[in-house]
Amino acid sequence: MATTATISISSDIASGFGGISETMTLTQAGNLVDIDSTTGFQIRKLSADSVVDLVTMANELVEPKDSVAAKIYIRNIGYKGVIDKSVGVTIGVNAEPIGKLYGGDWMVMPLTCIDADDITATPATDDTVVIEYVMFYEEA
Amino acid sequence: MATTTAAVTLTSDLLSDNMSVSASTTCMKAGTTADGLDQMEYGYLDLPTGDEYDLIATTPTATKASKLYLKNHSTDETYYIAVTQNAQAIGKLYGGDWMFIPADFHDAAGDIAITASGGTNKICYALFHEGTVLVTT
Repeated sequence: MATTATISISSDIASGFGGISETMTLTQAGNLVDIDSTTGFQIRKLSADSVVDLVTMANELVEPKDSVAAKIYIRNIGYKGVIDKSVGVTIGVNAEPIGKLYGGDWMVMPLTCIDADDITATPATDDTVVIEYVMFYEEA
Repeated sequence: MATTTAAVTLTSDLLSDNMSVSASTTCMKAGTTADGLDQMEYGYLDLPTGDEYDLIATTPTATKASKLYLKNHSTDETYYIAVTQNAQAIGKLYGGDWMFIPADFHDAAGDIAITASGGTNKICYALFHEGTVLVTT
């Protein structure tokens, strides 16, 4: 086994769209060796509409290697079983907003892991919301 | 209501016990619980090396919701595409890698741009969104 991620997308927006189903094995940059480090699975409870670091690259105990094949999974899981799809949390990289995760939404994206490129979260309101995430990366 | 569902399953043996996470979401218009995204673009392209290209030419506004899927279909694991948003580097997708993000096309400069390395990369993308209108010629 290794680290794998499978995505399945279905949609009835356009007739004839057959959907997407793809699996990737997370490997190190430029080869087929399995990725070797992770932050582990974590959750972060947010209760203010201010920006926080989900991942501070310079603070990782196992230093990530820069500009290779890191990936992160992030999901807005609501709070105490209540998932509000009308409000969201903006996920950013180095102060650049990537996009907003509404209740239940998830994302998987590559990362540079450069020290400046911290992963941030900014809730739209001060209602409590929980973010779950896990980062996979190469050890420097 | 149009319905677009995106699901992911993550598995890993990097921890002392195997990790498995599954999640699914229905992609809704911004700020609503009752109306799904109703527009989409879907394409498969060759991406030559040498220049940076805007992947998405249109620019939905910040008040709209978008979800972007992008996969590098190159079979050579040394090939990659570098992805940026508004000139901020996001990361690299090597051959076989995919990403799925709630793209925030918050201003005219917020487009997703991609640059190929190693050789001509083959990419597949799908943008699920709302509120885009055609530009008159």
